[in-house]
Amino acid sequence: MPVITLRYDTLKALIKGDVSTKELVDKIPYLGITLEEVVDEYMKVEYNPNRPDFSTSYGVARSLNGLLGFDKGAPSYSIDKGGVELVVDESTQEVRPFVVSLVGKGLILSDELIEEIISMQEDLHDGIGRHRRKMSIGIHNLDVLTPPITYTTVSSDFKFVPLGQKEEMKIEEILRETDVGKEYGHILYGFDRYPLLMDSFGNVLSFPPIINGELTKLRPSTRNLFIEITATDLGTADDALAVLAATLNDSGAQLESVKVSRGNSIRITPDMSFQKMKIDVKLANDLLGLKLTDQEVSESLEKSRISVISEDGRLIALIPRYRVDILHQVDLVEEIAYGYGFEKLTPTLCTSKKAGKPDETHYLIGLAREVMTGLGYIEVKNYNLVSRRALYEFTNRKPRAIVKVENPKSIECELLRDVLFPSLLMVLSRNLHEEYPQRIFEISKVFNRDARASTGVKEVYHIATAISHSTANYTEAKSSLGSLLLQAFNLKIDTIPTRHPSFIQGRVAMIKLAKYNLGIIGEIAPSVLENFKLRNPVSVSEVDLSKIVHIVKQKV
Amino acid sequence: MKPLHSLERKLLSSLARDDGGLLEDVALKADMTIDQARRAVEWLRSKGMVEVGTTTRYKIEIGDEGRRAADHGLPERRLVEVLKKLGGEAELHELSKASNLTPKEFSAAFGHARVKNWIGTVSIDDKAFVKILTPDQISPEESLLKKFVSKKDLFLDELSEEEKKAVSILIKRPDYFMKRPLKTIDITLTELGMKTAETVKEVKEIDNLTPELIISGRWREHKLRPFDVEAVAPTIYPGKKHPLQRFIDEVREAFISLGFEEIAGPVIQPAFWNFDALFVPQDHPARDMQDTFYISKIKDVKIGSQDMIERVSRVHIDGGITGSRGWGYDWRLDEAKRLVLRTHTTAVTVKYLADNKVSEAKVFSVDKVFRNEKLDTKHLAELHQIEGIVVGRKVTLRDLMGVLNEFYEILGLKKVKFWPTYFPYTEPSLQSIVYVEGFGWMELCGMGIFRPEVTLPLGVKNPVLAWGGGLERLLMTKLHIEDIRKLYENNIDWLRKVPLCL
Repeated sequence: MPVITLRYDTLKALIKGDVSTKELVDKIPYLGITLEEVVDEYMKVEYNPNRPDFSTSYGVARSLNGLLGFDKGAPSYSIDKGGVELVVDESTQEVRPFVVSLVGKGLILSDELIEEIISMQEDLHDGIGRHRRKMSIGIHNLDVLTPPITYTTVSSDFKFVPLGQKEEMKIEEILRETDVGKEYGHILYGFDRYPLLMDSFGNVLSFPPIINGELTKLRPSTRNLFIEITATDLGTADDALAVLAATLNDSGAQLESVKVSRGNSIRITPDMSFQKMKIDVKLANDLLGLKLTDQEVSESLEKSRISVISEDGRLIALIPRYRVDILHQVDLVEEIAYGYGFEKLTPTLCTSKKAGKPDETHYLIGLAREVMTGLGYIEVKNYNLVSRRALYEFTNRKPRAIVKVENPKSIECELLRDVLFPSLLMVLSRNLHEEYPQRIFEISKVFNRDARASTGVKEVYHIATAISHSTANYTEAKSSLGSLLLQAFNLKIDTIPTRHPSFIQGRVAMIKLAKYNLGIIGEIAPSVLENFKLRNPVSVSEVDLSKIVHIVKQKV
Repeated sequence: MKPLHSLERKLLSSLARDDGGLLEDVALKADMTIDQARRAVEWLRSKGMVEVGTTTRYKIEIGDEGRRAADHGLPERRLVEVLKKLGGEAELHELSKASNLTPKEFSAAFGHARVKNWIGTVSIDDKAFVKILTPDQISPEESLLKKFVSKKDLFLDELSEEEKKAVSILIKRPDYFMKRPLKTIDITLTELGMKTAETVKEVKEIDNLTPELIISGRWREHKLRPFDVEAVAPTIYPGKKHPLQRFIDEVREAFISLGFEEIAGPVIQPAFWNFDALFVPQDHPARDMQDTFYISKIKDVKIGSQDMIERVSRVHIDGGITGSRGWGYDWRLDEAKRLVLRTHTTAVTVKYLADNKVSEAKVFSVDKVFRNEKLDTKHLAELHQIEGIVVGRKVTLRDLMGVLNEFYEILGLKKVKFWPTYFPYTEPSLQSIVYVEGFGWMELCGMGIFRPEVTLPLGVKNPVLAWGGGLERLLMTKLHIEDIRKLYENNIDWLRKVPLCL
């Protein structure tokens, strides 16, 4: 989640009343913002991605003013009709079809404000912009431009001076050689025309969503801003523009609209009109467990910077355009709770009429655990995702129908294990120097392909045991296994000779119960011991616990 | 005074009777093994009852050649014997041939015999003749070798001066003798030891109570020796559940005691249940390959009824039946059919809601979830999630806070704070912060009321209270470990020693 730094002096200057630093810090969590670090001069806070308006001190102060009672209702914005026109060329429609725009005039750009604007821009890019794929923002010095501005496309050999460079570069060079080109170039992959904004003299504003031109760079002397947002989704572009407009307004700029024209269609941006939504007072009281009157509900919403009007006797919320997170009446319910004060919500006790109970399979599996610990075995817990090496190569097993994750960050967690015992051998191999005898067991799900399962993978519980010491042998393993199945499940098993590449031939058996094949038991082959760098004999058993649970449930 | 061990009493008596001496002798006289005697001596010395001195003795061990000489005579003796058989005089090469020795052995034997003056040589007609000079006499070396006929070794200090000289001569011959220094332990009783020995003799004690003594009643005739109850006993370890499992079970018990029923479901889920049904848009960052494990496609996945899929997809597109604005994008079925390793157990929970369309329920799960993380001290790719839901006609956010308070209290967490937060599938949403003794405040479970965009398309009309959180982090504070990976390291020593009571 994005983190911003809130300086107390900046914040206090934006609060329209007296407030102490402590009050500020105490109030922040009740805005739904998490405190990360609180020090003398500032606090670092983390805000949730559904509230892009919290990406600057201005947005946080706007909400704080409401909660602290210094301001109420939705803020109103005066937007002058501006003279700048943005002409959209039809060729942009395939690659990045939407553009919205705004002019902000008379701004005093302190270093701090530039920093806030840039950090806001980055947060918006990463969050609602989905790393610039869906939406990206260009902020420019208006005074070096000669409108109208054109949003068009160019070929890959088009040249201009990108931000931070002294020489002209071709589009293809920017994509190939610059950091931003390498990071975001994939968004334009497969297109042979590239989006570009230029003024009437052909001066380049930006090559979205990659980089701005050097010409329009912001400096402390910049007073008038031209903002363009290009996008693959118009709603997202409008959302971002509204957040920017509100922020610029609060930082002292006079907003002016821009006429965006494409062929015959004309749109004036920014669109800061309210979202209207009916308020369901009963729903609010039902969900929050309160008994608020219409009046109290209205007051609470006003504190959350949402205006309330009455139409035909029904309460209607006027939601500022920058509040992109309000989708449904339940979102208003939460706004009511914010305004009412989450700190005032007290827990109630809801008593239970019914007795609880464990999942039956988990309960029966617990019995196996009880017997194994009673027999002196220590339980281990391994990861379900394992390496191909440990699962197959080291154990001499042939990979059959593996279940593989597409995108592991390491080959150590590439496959979902189909059996447990290789993980136990791994545990023993990591504990060579611990006291012997070592007796361990594990209970976990294993994963096998099965066309009958709805996902194509059958998930069942296994239990595996391993003993390791200088005289560990088949007999000891069989005694433990026999005890486990008899004591926990009242089942008597047979062991039928079989072959298995991980075990010593002649000392390995299939575990059978009537028609069921329950698993395998035996002494691990010396070649396998060597692969795991083990120095003591090891005997192992592995049993399908889900099958046992099935048998037990049938008997009951 | 600490009670004496039977070995100590035995040794004390023996020392008082037979005097001290070398450890080996003392052990022999006391009828103990060397090891027993050594232990008893060590204990008695710590009690000030014996004094222990060490001296170095030299042991002479016989080698392979020495053994042959002891059994069959010195080579020079054997040479003289051969010469005798040849009549006391023979030509040199004739003797060499008859001796059956290699040229090297012959020349050595010949040299030694000459030095001892047993034989002499004369030259007649350019031929070398050998003849016996002195009559037979046993050399000191030979009498020394005799002592070794039935022994492997002897102490140097047990030999006469002449024998010692013989040793110094023969030791120069290869493989005859080895001389090894040996530390020996010399034991004498102190005054305290002497006094104690007298009292020991008077008491007739036994070590072990036997079934035979109990049944026969003869235990009355004996006094059971007091043990050194302060002595260290060997450490043994029990079989144990893994600390994670213990904690999982503790949390499950907490839920059950609050009237919750446990549910369980598959780890592998269509993205539909893990994300779409929870109103997580298909371009949400949490769905990135960077964060979520995807399983290579195995077969075409069936999610559920066509109607239900349609209702869920409408919610994403325009809010559908729920009155929501929706996310306003082009929802794709194939994206929803991709298989993921569940990133939260909520996938199982919503499937349960969809299958059962409950109007009242309290269910929970404590189960494994997966995140595509690089492992470090704070992150695991596999971990456990706690999750509980309450469905009811009149349940409220305040009820949810109440359930959480109760739940935490059972787990020993008495101080709880609630702060508002955001989750994509609950509204309103809260974060709970709990005070953990010895650690401080920590964020634990997140919670909220499922959005209508989640519940209505699945056919659930009543509010659903839900909360969830990670299990490992809380357990780490209880176990006082800083590296989360330790929980899955399976260090047997740690597992053996970690206490059950945290």
